[in-house]
Amino acid sequence: MPDGSEVLALFDDEAVAAAQPRSEGRARRPAQQLAEPGLSPESAISVATLTLATRDIIEGAVEPLWVRGEVVGLKEHRKGHWYFTLKDENAQIRCVMWATDARRMLAAPDEGMTITALGKLTVYAGRGELQLRILRIEASGDGLWRKAFEKVHKKLEAEGLFAIERKRPLPMLPACIAVVTSTDGAALHDIVSVVRRRCPITRIVVAHAAVQGDGAAGSLVAALHRVARWGQADIVILGRGGGSREDLWAFNDERVVRAAAGMPVPVIAAIGHEVDVTLCDLAADVRAATPSAAAEAAAPQLSELLRHVKRLGNDLRDAALAQVESARERLAVAGVSVARAASHPLERRRLLIEGMAGRLHALSPLATLGRGYSVLMRDDGTPVTTIDAVAPGDQVIARLQDGMIHARVERKESLDEEISQ
Amino acid sequence: MSFEKKVQRLEEIVRALESRDLSLEKGLKLFEEGITCLRDASAELSKAEAAVQVLRERTDGILEATDLRA
Repeated sequence: MPDGSEVLALFDDEAVAAAQPRSEGRARRPAQQLAEPGLSPESAISVATLTLATRDIIEGAVEPLWVRGEVVGLKEHRKGHWYFTLKDENAQIRCVMWATDARRMLAAPDEGMTITALGKLTVYAGRGELQLRILRIEASGDGLWRKAFEKVHKKLEAEGLFAIERKRPLPMLPACIAVVTSTDGAALHDIVSVVRRRCPITRIVVAHAAVQGDGAAGSLVAALHRVARWGQADIVILGRGGGSREDLWAFNDERVVRAAAGMPVPVIAAIGHEVDVTLCDLAADVRAATPSAAAEAAAPQLSELLRHVKRLGNDLRDAALAQVESARERLAVAGVSVARAASHPLERRRLLIEGMAGRLHALSPLATLGRGYSVLMRDDGTPVTTIDAVAPGDQVIARLQDGMIHARVERKESLDEEISQ
Repeated sequence: MSFEKKVQRLEEIVRALESRDLSLEKGLKLFEEGITCLRDASAELSKAEAAVQVLRERTDGILEATDLRA
Protein backbone atom coordinates (compact mmCIF):
# COMPACT_ATOMS: atom_id res chain seq x y z
CA MET A 1 0.00 0.00 0.00
CA PRO A 2 1.71 3.21 -1.10
CA ASP A 3 1.49 6.23 1.10
CA GLY A 4 -0.78 9.13 0.20
CA SER A 5 1.76 11.33 -1.47
CA GLU A 6 2.99 8.57 -3.75
CA VAL A 7 -0.52 7.77 -4.77
CA LEU A 8 -1.25 11.41 -5.37
CA ALA A 9 1.83 11.89 -7.48
CA LEU A 10 0.88 8.92 -9.60
CA PHE A 11 -2.67 10.09 -9.95
CA ASP A 12 -1.48 13.51 -10.97
CA ASP A 13 0.61 11.93 -13.70
CA GLU A 14 -2.39 10.15 -14.94
CA ALA A 15 -4.44 13.28 -14.86
CA VAL A 16 -1.90 14.81 -17.25
CA ALA A 17 -2.08 11.82 -19.52
CA ALA A 18 -5.84 11.92 -19.50
CA ALA A 19 -5.79 15.54 -20.47
CA GLN A 20 -3.83 14.72 -23.61
CA PRO A 21 -6.00 12.36 -25.57
CA ARG A 22 -3.45 12.22 -28.42
CA SER A 23 -1.14 10.21 -26.19
CA GLU A 24 -3.57 7.34 -26.54
CA GLY A 25 -2.24 6.97 -30.03
CA ARG A 26 1.05 5.79 -28.61
CA ALA A 27 -0.65 2.62 -27.58
CA ARG A 28 -2.03 1.94 -31.04
CA ARG A 29 0.72 3.13 -33.33
CA PRO A 30 3.20 0.37 -32.48
CA ALA A 31 0.44 -2.19 -32.80
CA GLN A 32 -0.18 -1.00 -36.36
CA GLN A 33 3.48 -0.90 -37.32
CA LEU A 34 4.35 -4.40 -36.10
CA ALA A 35 2.42 -7.21 -37.58
CA GLU A 36 2.27 -9.25 -34.44
CA PRO A 37 3.31 -7.10 -31.51
CA GLY A 38 3.94 -9.04 -28.39
CA LEU A 39 3.80 -12.41 -30.07
CA SER A 40 7.56 -12.91 -30.27
CA PRO A 41 10.46 -11.82 -28.13
CA GLU A 42 11.50 -9.45 -30.93
CA SER A 43 8.18 -7.66 -30.99
CA ALA A 44 7.85 -7.46 -27.23
CA ILE A 45 5.76 -4.48 -26.13
CA SER A 46 6.44 -2.13 -23.24
CA VAL A 47 4.54 -2.20 -20.01
CA ALA A 48 3.20 1.25 -20.81
CA THR A 49 1.91 0.04 -24.14
CA LEU A 50 0.20 -2.86 -22.47
CA THR A 51 -1.45 -0.89 -19.71
CA LEU A 52 -2.44 2.04 -21.88
CA ALA A 53 -3.82 -0.30 -24.55
CA THR A 54 -5.77 -2.09 -21.84
CA ARG A 55 -7.08 1.22 -20.61
CA ASP A 56 -8.22 2.19 -24.09
CA ILE A 57 -10.00 -1.09 -24.56
CA ILE A 58 -11.76 -0.89 -21.22
CA GLU A 59 -12.71 2.74 -21.50
CA GLY A 60 -14.06 2.19 -24.98
CA ALA A 61 -16.02 -0.88 -24.05
CA VAL A 62 -17.70 0.07 -20.78
CA GLU A 63 -20.17 2.91 -20.29
CA PRO A 64 -20.32 4.59 -16.87
CA LEU A 65 -21.96 2.22 -14.41
CA TRP A 66 -23.72 2.52 -11.09
CA VAL A 67 -21.87 0.47 -8.50
CA ARG A 68 -22.79 -0.19 -4.90
CA GLY A 69 -20.17 -0.89 -2.25
CA GLU A 70 -18.65 -0.02 1.05
CA VAL A 71 -16.20 2.87 1.33
CA VAL A 72 -12.79 2.00 2.76
CA GLY A 73 -9.69 4.12 3.30
CA LEU A 74 -10.95 7.42 2.01
CA LYS A 75 -8.26 10.07 1.67
CA GLU A 76 -8.91 13.68 0.75
CA HIS A 77 -6.16 15.34 -1.24
CA ARG A 78 -5.57 18.95 -0.35
CA LYS A 79 -6.69 19.92 -3.83
CA GLY A 80 -10.03 18.30 -3.15
CA HIS A 81 -9.65 14.93 -4.87
CA TRP A 82 -10.94 11.88 -3.03
CA TYR A 83 -9.25 8.51 -3.12
CA PHE A 84 -10.86 5.43 -1.68
CA THR A 85 -11.66 1.78 -2.22
CA LEU A 86 -15.09 0.37 -2.80
CA LYS A 87 -15.46 -3.14 -1.55
CA ASP A 88 -17.82 -5.84 -0.66
CA GLU A 89 -17.27 -9.22 0.89
CA ASN A 90 -15.00 -10.72 -1.76
CA ALA A 91 -13.92 -7.93 -4.04
CA GLN A 92 -12.65 -4.42 -4.12
CA ILE A 93 -11.78 -1.70 -6.60
CA ARG A 94 -9.74 1.48 -6.26
CA CYS A 95 -11.67 4.66 -6.85
CA VAL A 96 -10.82 8.26 -7.50
CA MET A 97 -13.15 11.23 -7.50
CA TRP A 98 -11.58 14.35 -8.98
CA ALA A 99 -12.08 17.62 -7.14
CA THR A 100 -14.37 19.01 -9.84
CA ASP A 101 -16.78 16.15 -9.17
CA ALA A 102 -16.18 15.89 -5.43
CA ARG A 103 -16.97 19.57 -4.95
CA ARG A 104 -20.53 19.00 -6.01
CA MET A 105 -21.06 16.47 -3.22
CA LEU A 106 -22.52 17.54 0.14
CA ALA A 107 -19.91 15.70 2.13
CA ALA A 108 -17.35 12.98 1.80
CA PRO A 109 -18.70 9.53 2.64
CA ASP A 110 -17.70 8.05 5.97
CA GLU A 111 -15.51 5.02 6.41
CA GLY A 112 -17.66 1.95 6.11
CA MET A 113 -20.59 3.83 4.56
CA THR A 114 -22.37 1.98 1.81
CA ILE A 115 -22.73 4.19 -1.22
CA THR A 116 -24.06 3.92 -4.73
CA ALA A 117 -21.74 5.62 -7.15
CA LEU A 118 -21.67 6.32 -10.86
CA GLY A 119 -18.22 5.47 -12.14
CA LYS A 120 -16.29 5.13 -15.35
CA LEU A 121 -14.07 2.08 -15.44
CA THR A 122 -10.46 2.71 -16.42
CA VAL A 123 -6.95 1.49 -15.83
CA TYR A 124 -4.49 3.32 -13.66
CA ALA A 125 -1.38 2.67 -15.72
CA GLY A 126 1.00 3.76 -13.01
CA ARG A 127 0.07 0.78 -10.90
CA GLY A 128 -1.49 -1.42 -13.49
CA GLU A 129 -4.70 -1.35 -11.53
CA LEU A 130 -8.30 -1.33 -12.47
CA GLN A 131 -9.78 1.93 -11.28
CA LEU A 132 -13.20 3.51 -11.08
CA ARG A 133 -13.37 7.19 -11.76
CA ILE A 134 -16.37 8.26 -9.65
CA LEU A 135 -18.58 10.92 -11.19
CA ARG A 136 -21.40 11.01 -8.66
CA ILE A 137 -22.30 9.48 -5.34
CA GLU A 138 -25.80 8.80 -4.17
CA ALA A 139 -25.82 8.03 -0.51
CA SER A 140 -27.71 4.84 0.14
CA GLY A 141 -30.46 5.87 2.52
CA ASP A 142 -29.79 9.44 3.56
CA GLY A 143 -26.34 8.99 5.02
CA LEU A 144 -24.59 11.78 3.14
CA TRP A 145 -27.38 14.27 3.67
CA ARG A 146 -27.48 13.58 7.35
CA LYS A 147 -23.72 13.82 7.56
CA ALA A 148 -23.60 17.19 5.83
CA PHE A 149 -26.51 18.45 7.94
CA GLU A 150 -24.91 17.27 11.15
CA LYS A 151 -21.55 18.72 10.30
CA VAL A 152 -22.95 22.24 9.94
CA HIS A 153 -25.39 21.72 12.80
CA LYS A 154 -22.63 20.70 15.17
CA LYS A 155 -20.47 23.66 14.23
CA LEU A 156 -23.19 26.27 14.56
CA GLU A 157 -24.63 24.76 17.70
CA ALA A 158 -21.20 25.01 19.30
CA GLU A 159 -21.28 28.71 18.47
CA GLY A 160 -24.66 29.00 20.20
CA LEU A 161 -26.56 29.96 17.06
CA PHE A 162 -29.54 27.79 17.95
CA ALA A 163 -29.66 28.73 21.63
CA ILE A 164 -33.04 29.47 23.19
CA GLU A 165 -31.60 32.64 24.75
CA ARG A 166 -31.12 34.09 21.29
CA LYS A 167 -34.82 33.87 20.44
CA ARG A 168 -36.47 37.25 20.35
CA PRO A 169 -40.17 37.95 20.85
CA LEU A 170 -42.20 39.16 17.89
CA PRO A 171 -43.49 42.74 17.91
CA MET A 172 -47.19 43.13 18.69
CA LEU A 173 -47.88 45.18 15.57
CA PRO A 174 -45.25 45.09 12.81
CA ALA A 175 -45.50 48.12 10.58
CA CYS A 176 -43.53 46.24 7.93
CA ILE A 177 -42.96 42.55 7.28
CA ALA A 178 -40.12 41.59 4.94
CA VAL A 179 -40.53 38.31 3.11
CA VAL A 180 -37.43 36.58 1.78
CA THR A 181 -38.61 34.08 -0.79
CA SER A 182 -39.14 33.67 -4.51
CA THR A 183 -41.60 36.15 -6.04
CA ASP A 184 -42.70 33.27 -8.27
CA GLY A 185 -43.47 30.86 -5.46
CA ALA A 186 -46.74 29.86 -3.83
CA ALA A 187 -45.32 30.76 -0.42
CA LEU A 188 -45.45 34.49 -1.18
CA HIS A 189 -49.04 34.29 -2.31
CA ASP A 190 -50.03 32.48 0.90
CA ILE A 191 -48.21 34.97 3.11
CA VAL A 192 -49.66 38.01 1.35
CA SER A 193 -53.23 36.76 1.55
CA VAL A 194 -52.98 35.90 5.26
CA VAL A 195 -51.40 39.24 6.21
CA ARG A 196 -53.95 41.12 4.08
CA ARG A 197 -56.82 39.37 5.82
CA ARG A 198 -55.51 39.75 9.37
CA CYS A 199 -53.79 43.10 9.33
CA PRO A 200 -54.17 45.11 6.11
CA ILE A 201 -52.30 48.10 7.57
CA THR A 202 -49.06 46.11 7.71
CA ARG A 203 -46.74 46.73 4.79
CA ILE A 204 -45.24 43.71 3.03
CA VAL A 205 -41.91 44.01 1.27
CA VAL A 206 -40.55 41.07 -0.68
CA ALA A 207 -36.84 40.48 -1.13
CA HIS A 208 -36.70 38.03 -3.99
CA ALA A 209 -34.33 35.07 -3.79
CA ALA A 210 -33.86 31.85 -5.71
CA VAL A 211 -34.95 29.23 -3.19
CA GLN A 212 -33.59 26.11 -4.88
CA GLY A 213 -30.96 25.00 -7.32
CA ASP A 214 -27.46 26.26 -7.97
CA GLY A 215 -26.90 29.68 -6.51
CA ALA A 216 -29.91 29.53 -4.16
CA ALA A 217 -27.73 29.87 -1.07
CA GLY A 218 -25.95 32.95 -2.39
CA SER A 219 -29.22 34.45 -3.53
CA LEU A 220 -30.84 33.89 -0.12
CA VAL A 221 -27.88 35.43 1.67
CA ALA A 222 -27.99 38.47 -0.61
CA ALA A 223 -31.73 38.93 -0.03
CA LEU A 224 -31.32 38.68 3.75
CA HIS A 225 -28.50 41.22 3.66
CA ARG A 226 -30.63 43.51 1.52
CA VAL A 227 -33.39 43.46 4.13
CA ALA A 228 -30.94 44.02 6.98
CA ARG A 229 -29.30 46.94 5.20
CA TRP A 230 -32.66 48.48 4.29
CA GLY A 231 -33.54 48.46 7.97
CA GLN A 232 -37.26 49.20 7.79
CA ALA A 233 -38.69 45.75 8.43
CA ASP A 234 -39.91 44.79 11.90
CA ILE A 235 -40.09 41.05 11.17
CA VAL A 236 -38.56 38.84 8.47
CA ILE A 237 -40.31 35.76 7.12
CA LEU A 238 -37.82 33.42 5.46
CA GLY A 239 -39.44 30.62 3.56
CA ARG A 240 -40.59 28.61 0.63
CA GLY A 241 -43.19 25.96 -0.08
CA GLY A 242 -42.70 22.24 0.14
CA GLY A 243 -40.16 20.39 -1.95
CA SER A 244 -37.72 17.53 -1.99
CA ARG A 245 -34.78 17.42 0.36
CA GLU A 246 -32.60 18.63 -2.50
CA ASP A 247 -34.99 21.54 -3.12
CA LEU A 248 -34.80 22.66 0.50
CA TRP A 249 -31.09 22.14 0.82
CA ALA A 250 -30.02 25.78 0.49
CA PHE A 251 -31.67 26.42 3.86
CA ASN A 252 -29.07 24.14 5.45
CA ASP A 253 -26.21 26.05 3.88
CA GLU A 254 -23.97 27.50 6.55
CA ARG A 255 -23.89 30.95 4.94
CA VAL A 256 -27.68 31.15 4.79
CA VAL A 257 -28.09 29.96 8.37
CA ARG A 258 -25.58 32.55 9.56
CA ALA A 259 -27.28 35.33 7.62
CA ALA A 260 -30.66 34.36 9.09
CA ALA A 261 -29.25 34.22 12.62
CA GLY A 262 -27.57 37.59 12.16
CA MET A 263 -30.69 39.52 11.20
CA PRO A 264 -31.29 42.65 13.31
CA VAL A 265 -35.00 41.90 13.67
CA PRO A 266 -36.83 38.65 14.55
CA VAL A 267 -36.93 35.99 11.85
CA ILE A 268 -39.76 33.52 11.30
CA ALA A 269 -38.70 30.49 9.28
CA ALA A 270 -41.27 28.59 7.25
CA ILE A 271 -39.47 26.17 5.02
CA GLY A 272 -41.25 23.30 3.32
CA HIS A 273 -43.72 21.27 5.30
CA GLU A 274 -43.99 20.56 8.99
CA VAL A 275 -41.77 17.46 8.77
CA ASP A 276 -38.92 19.32 7.10
CA VAL A 277 -36.58 20.83 9.63
CA THR A 278 -33.74 22.84 8.17
CA LEU A 279 -30.95 24.60 10.03
CA CYS A 280 -32.58 27.92 9.17
CA ASP A 281 -35.65 26.71 11.09
CA LEU A 282 -33.42 26.08 14.09
CA ALA A 283 -31.64 29.42 13.85
CA ALA A 284 -34.82 31.47 13.41
CA ASP A 285 -36.51 33.21 16.31
CA VAL A 286 -39.74 31.41 15.50
CA ARG A 287 -40.32 28.32 13.42
CA ALA A 288 -43.62 28.07 11.58
CA ALA A 289 -44.94 24.87 10.03
CA THR A 290 -45.92 26.57 6.76
CA PRO A 291 -45.65 29.99 5.11
CA SER A 292 -49.31 30.66 6.03
CA ALA A 293 -48.59 29.85 9.67
CA ALA A 294 -45.61 32.20 9.56
CA ALA A 295 -47.85 34.99 8.30
CA GLU A 296 -50.33 34.30 11.11
CA ALA A 297 -47.53 34.50 13.66
CA ALA A 298 -46.22 37.74 12.17
CA ALA A 299 -49.44 39.63 11.54
CA PRO A 300 -51.78 40.30 14.46
CA GLN A 301 -55.53 40.23 14.03
CA LEU A 302 -56.24 43.93 13.62
CA SER A 303 -59.78 43.66 15.00
CA GLU A 304 -58.39 42.14 18.21
CA LEU A 305 -55.93 44.98 18.65
CA LEU A 306 -58.70 47.50 18.11
CA ARG A 307 -60.81 45.74 20.75
CA HIS A 308 -57.89 45.68 23.15
CA VAL A 309 -57.16 49.39 22.76
CA LYS A 310 -60.85 50.23 23.13
CA ARG A 311 -61.01 48.18 26.32
CA LEU A 312 -57.95 49.98 27.67
CA GLY A 313 -59.64 53.31 26.89
CA ASN A 314 -62.66 52.24 28.92
CA ASP A 315 -60.45 51.04 31.76
CA LEU A 316 -58.59 54.34 31.72
CA ARG A 317 -61.81 56.28 31.96
CA ASP A 318 -63.16 54.08 34.74
CA ALA A 319 -59.94 54.27 36.73
CA ALA A 320 -59.77 58.05 36.32
CA LEU A 321 -63.38 58.35 37.45
CA ALA A 322 -62.65 56.25 40.50
CA GLN A 323 -59.64 58.44 41.29
CA VAL A 324 -61.76 61.56 40.94
CA GLU A 325 -64.42 60.00 43.12
CA SER A 326 -61.91 59.30 45.83
CA ALA A 327 -60.39 62.75 45.39
CA ARG A 328 -63.86 64.26 45.64
CA GLU A 329 -64.23 62.73 49.08
CA ARG A 330 -60.84 63.97 50.19
CA LEU A 331 -61.43 67.40 48.72
CA ALA A 332 -64.86 67.63 50.24
CA VAL A 333 -63.24 67.25 53.60
CA ALA A 334 -60.14 69.33 53.03
CA GLY A 335 -62.07 71.94 51.09
CA VAL A 336 -64.40 72.79 53.90
CA SER A 337 -62.25 75.55 55.27
CA VAL A 338 -61.52 77.04 51.87
CA ALA A 339 -65.16 76.95 50.99
CA ARG A 340 -65.93 78.81 54.15
CA ALA A 341 -63.45 81.48 53.18
CA ALA A 342 -65.47 82.30 50.12
CA SER A 343 -68.45 84.55 50.04
CA HIS A 344 -70.81 81.85 48.80
CA PRO A 345 -69.46 78.71 50.43
CA LEU A 346 -71.62 76.16 48.71
CA GLU A 347 -71.12 77.66 45.27
CA ARG A 348 -67.37 77.85 45.86
CA ARG A 349 -67.19 74.27 46.83
CA ARG A 350 -69.02 73.16 43.74
CA LEU A 351 -66.69 75.16 41.51
CA LEU A 352 -63.67 73.78 43.29
CA ILE A 353 -64.64 70.29 42.38
CA GLU A 354 -65.68 71.15 38.83
CA GLY A 355 -62.29 72.70 38.15
CA MET A 356 -60.58 69.37 38.43
CA ALA A 357 -63.15 67.70 36.26
CA GLY A 358 -62.78 70.55 33.83
CA ARG A 359 -59.17 69.64 33.24
CA LEU A 360 -60.07 66.04 32.66
CA HIS A 361 -62.79 67.12 30.32
CA ALA A 362 -60.39 69.20 28.28
CA LEU A 363 -58.27 66.11 27.74
CA SER A 364 -60.91 63.63 26.76
CA PRO A 365 -64.36 63.17 25.40
CA LEU A 366 -65.42 62.04 28.82
CA ALA A 367 -67.80 64.90 29.46
CA THR A 368 -69.27 63.33 32.55
CA LEU A 369 -66.01 63.96 34.34
CA GLY A 370 -66.56 67.71 34.18
CA ARG A 371 -68.92 67.88 37.08
CA GLY A 372 -68.01 69.10 40.52
CA TYR A 373 -64.20 69.24 40.76
CA SER A 374 -61.49 71.80 41.21
CA VAL A 375 -57.81 71.76 42.05
CA LEU A 376 -56.60 73.79 44.98
CA MET A 377 -53.08 75.12 44.62
CA ARG A 378 -50.74 77.31 46.58
CA ASP A 379 -49.88 80.56 44.90
CA ASP A 380 -46.66 78.97 43.58
CA GLY A 381 -48.76 76.37 41.75
CA THR A 382 -48.07 73.35 43.95
CA PRO A 383 -51.24 71.41 44.63
CA VAL A 384 -52.70 71.46 48.11
CA THR A 385 -53.35 67.86 49.08
CA THR A 386 -53.37 68.20 52.86
CA ILE A 387 -54.40 70.94 55.27
CA ASP A 388 -50.86 70.92 56.60
CA ALA A 389 -49.74 72.50 53.32
CA VAL A 390 -51.39 75.83 54.15
CA ALA A 391 -51.69 78.10 57.16
CA PRO A 392 -54.40 80.62 57.95
CA GLY A 393 -53.80 83.79 55.97
CA ASP A 394 -52.11 81.95 53.04
CA GLN A 395 -53.12 82.84 49.51
CA VAL A 396 -54.51 79.85 47.58
CA ILE A 397 -55.73 79.39 44.02
CA ALA A 398 -58.62 77.18 43.02
CA ARG A 399 -58.33 76.12 39.44
CA LEU A 400 -61.62 75.59 37.64
CA GLN A 401 -62.41 74.57 34.07
CA ASP A 402 -62.82 78.18 32.95
CA GLY A 403 -60.36 80.02 35.14
CA MET A 404 -58.88 80.58 38.58
CA ILE A 405 -60.23 81.79 41.89
CA HIS A 406 -57.80 83.48 44.26
CA ALA A 407 -58.71 83.07 47.92
CA ARG A 408 -57.18 83.22 51.36
CA VAL A 409 -57.20 80.58 54.03
CA GLU A 410 -59.26 81.67 56.99
CA ARG A 411 -59.14 78.72 59.27
CA LYS A 412 -58.22 75.03 59.15
CA GLU A 413 -59.92 72.04 60.66
CA SER A 414 -58.61 68.55 60.47
CA LEU A 415 -60.97 65.72 59.70
CA ASP A 416 -60.35 64.40 63.21
CA GLU A 417 -61.36 67.72 64.81
CA GLU A 418 -64.43 67.90 62.63
CA ILE A 419 -65.46 64.43 63.70
CA SER A 420 -64.75 65.13 67.36
CA GLN A 421 -66.77 68.33 67.27
CA MET B 1 -42.45 54.88 20.63
CA SER B 2 -43.68 51.63 19.08
CA PHE B 3 -47.29 50.64 19.16
CA GLU B 4 -46.39 47.94 21.63
CA LYS B 5 -44.67 50.38 24.00
CA LYS B 6 -47.66 52.70 23.86
CA VAL B 7 -50.05 49.91 24.73
CA GLN B 8 -47.78 48.70 27.51
CA ARG B 9 -47.54 52.21 28.94
CA LEU B 10 -51.30 52.58 28.75
CA GLU B 11 -51.73 49.29 30.62
CA GLU B 12 -49.31 50.52 33.30
CA ILE B 13 -51.20 53.77 33.68
CA VAL B 14 -54.54 52.01 34.01
CA ARG B 15 -53.06 49.67 36.61
CA ALA B 16 -51.60 52.59 38.57
CA LEU B 17 -54.89 54.51 38.48
CA GLU B 18 -56.83 51.40 39.47
CA SER B 19 -54.57 50.18 42.21
CA ARG B 20 -54.28 53.13 44.60
CA ASP B 21 -55.27 56.65 45.47
CA LEU B 22 -52.88 59.06 43.86
CA SER B 23 -52.37 62.72 44.48
CA LEU B 24 -54.52 64.78 42.16
CA GLU B 25 -51.52 66.16 40.35
CA LYS B 26 -50.05 62.72 39.80
CA GLY B 27 -53.41 61.24 38.84
CA LEU B 28 -54.04 63.99 36.33
CA LYS B 29 -50.59 63.66 34.83
CA LEU B 30 -51.05 59.93 34.36
CA PHE B 31 -54.48 60.42 32.91
CA GLU B 32 -53.17 62.98 30.42
CA GLU B 33 -50.39 60.63 29.41
CA GLY B 34 -52.86 57.76 29.13
CA ILE B 35 -55.07 59.76 26.81
CA THR B 36 -52.06 60.57 24.61
CA CYS B 37 -51.06 56.91 24.41
CA LEU B 38 -54.62 55.94 23.64
CA ARG B 39 -54.93 58.49 20.88
CA ASP B 40 -51.59 57.51 19.29
CA ALA B 41 -52.32 53.80 19.50
CA SER B 42 -55.75 54.25 17.96
CA ALA B 43 -54.30 56.40 15.19
CA GLU B 44 -51.78 53.71 14.36
CA LEU B 45 -54.52 51.12 14.02
CA SER B 46 -56.55 53.23 11.65
CA LYS B 47 -53.83 53.74 9.07
CA ALA B 48 -54.57 53.13 5.41
CA GLU B 49 -54.17 49.73 3.80
CA ALA B 50 -50.52 49.14 2.97
CA ALA B 51 -49.03 48.01 -0.30
CA VAL B 52 -47.14 44.86 -1.25
CA GLN B 53 -43.75 45.89 -2.51
CA VAL B 54 -40.51 44.43 -3.75
CA LEU B 55 -37.18 45.42 -2.29
CA ARG B 56 -34.67 45.93 -5.06
CA GLU B 57 -31.11 47.12 -5.18
CA ARG B 58 -30.54 49.69 -7.85
CA THR B 59 -27.35 49.70 -9.87
CA ASP B 60 -26.04 52.55 -7.72
CA GLY B 61 -26.46 50.33 -4.65
CA ILE B 62 -29.45 52.17 -3.21
CA LEU B 63 -32.27 49.96 -1.97
CA GLU B 64 -35.79 50.86 -2.94
CA ALA B 65 -39.18 49.30 -2.37
CA THR B 66 -41.49 49.47 -5.35
CA ASP B 67 -45.00 48.15 -5.75
CA LEU B 68 -45.02 44.49 -6.67
CA ARG B 69 -47.39 44.65 -9.64
CA ALA B 70 -45.94 47.86 -11.02
